[in-house]
Amino acid sequence: MKTMELHLTVNGKSVEWTIAPAELLLDVLRRQGYFGVKRGCEKGECGACTVLVNGKPINSCLMFAAQAEGCEILTIEGVARDGRLDPLQEAFLDHGAVQCGFCTGGMVLSAKALLDRHPHPTEDEVREALAGHLCRCTGYKKPVEAVLAAAGKKKVKRTRVAAEVAQ
Amino acid sequence: MFDKVEAFYRPDSVREALRLLQSGRGQARVVAGGTDLVVEADDSVRVLIDITRAGLNYIRRKRGGCTIGATATMAELEDSDIIRDLAGGLLANVARTCGSVPIRNLATIGGNMANASPAADMATPLLVLDAAVVIADSRGRRKLPLADYLAGAGRSAKSLLVEIVLPDPPCGKGCRWSYQKLGRTAVDISLVSVAAGLQLDSRRRVKWARIALGAMAPTAMRASGAEQRITGRTLDCALIAEIGEQAAREARPITDVRATAEYRREMCAVLTRRAIEECADHAGQTGCSL
Repeated sequence: MKTMELHLTVNGKSVEWTIAPAELLLDVLRRQGYFGVKRGCEKGECGACTVLVNGKPINSCLMFAAQAEGCEILTIEGVARDGRLDPLQEAFLDHGAVQCGFCTGGMVLSAKALLDRHPHPTEDEVREALAGHLCRCTGYKKPVEAVLAAAGKKKVKRTRVAAEVAQ
Repeated sequence: MFDKVEAFYRPDSVREALRLLQSGRGQARVVAGGTDLVVEADDSVRVLIDITRAGLNYIRRKRGGCTIGATATMAELEDSDIIRDLAGGLLANVARTCGSVPIRNLATIGGNMANASPAADMATPLLVLDAAVVIADSRGRRKLPLADYLAGAGRSAKSLLVEIVLPDPPCGKGCRWSYQKLGRTAVDISLVSVAAGLQLDSRRRVKWARIALGAMAPTAMRASGAEQRITGRTLDCALIAEIGEQAAREARPITDVRATAEYRREMCAVLTRRAIEECADHAGQTGCSL
């Protein structure tokens, strides 16, 4: 089996890994223990394997690991800093936007990339940013609300039931 | 999968990429965004050649038009001022329909054309804009019309699509553009797509017309008969309906898992009417029922 060396930065740490020439970034990251990168559809439809490459969300199931040479990768494991959750992660928890959690890592990363570029997105922009992520549990309303809340948009429309529960 | 791949190259120039393709003995494949290639998982591939570092990632304005490097991504096209200013933003708007954000950060315009799916989203607006492609091989570079390239001209295992060339389209007040796509969801592959460009004079007479159909034939195609029929005539509801029917007659759709040929043909007429209607920009005024 032919192998090659891959040099990249993952969550701020420089790494050098030995890979097979045509391995996918998803497979390599999971082999190295980044299990927050989920294996879903493996054809770029579900978004569970999303990571940020140089700040941009991509489907790691569609990218050869060798293409990431020299790149900076951010996985969901690297979003919290010094044991403190990112405001986006807090917002996902506060808004009940996490259920089984399989899609959550990808959604948080896509949302982070959006907010890094557009700190005050419209709801349509949030929906567009999350359109590549399929959730089979909660749906999309709560994640969208969570992202808007994290962006400082407080106009979260709560349902009557949720408002009563909160009281 | 690609288990039999022995080498992955990242050439930093077109010349080096071509040298690697030459020595690939037909078992080498070019990687750009990878969004089509990876899913295809071709077992016969031994060598992968990543051209995303070969200097083809550019969008440039030049005299008489603009050029787009083969590895410019859909996301870069969406964001480019040059592309947004071109033809009322037609190409930038279509780039935004090419799948989700993570896909658009990977997928390239060159890959979309080289893969030449009949449903390739960028093909119809590029045909409307009279695009040409530049092909490089060991003998040098040559330019040929995109329509010819999609039909198979200039394609070989040892040539590389390096650039898309767009001449300046007609511009001014009378120029209108439209893209219509029918898919299962907003980010899904199209069942039918139609792109159109019209130049109208002050009395709504059509001076220039381009109509292109996607997923309606083995490759994206111009509806030349419909273009000829509309040129020189004054737009009204009857003409718009006639052009829709004409485009549907020219199409050669197939039945597949996504839609039947009959449905595609019917929708081709509808989307063509909508495209012309949007270009005509008189929705509501004439009461055309679309």
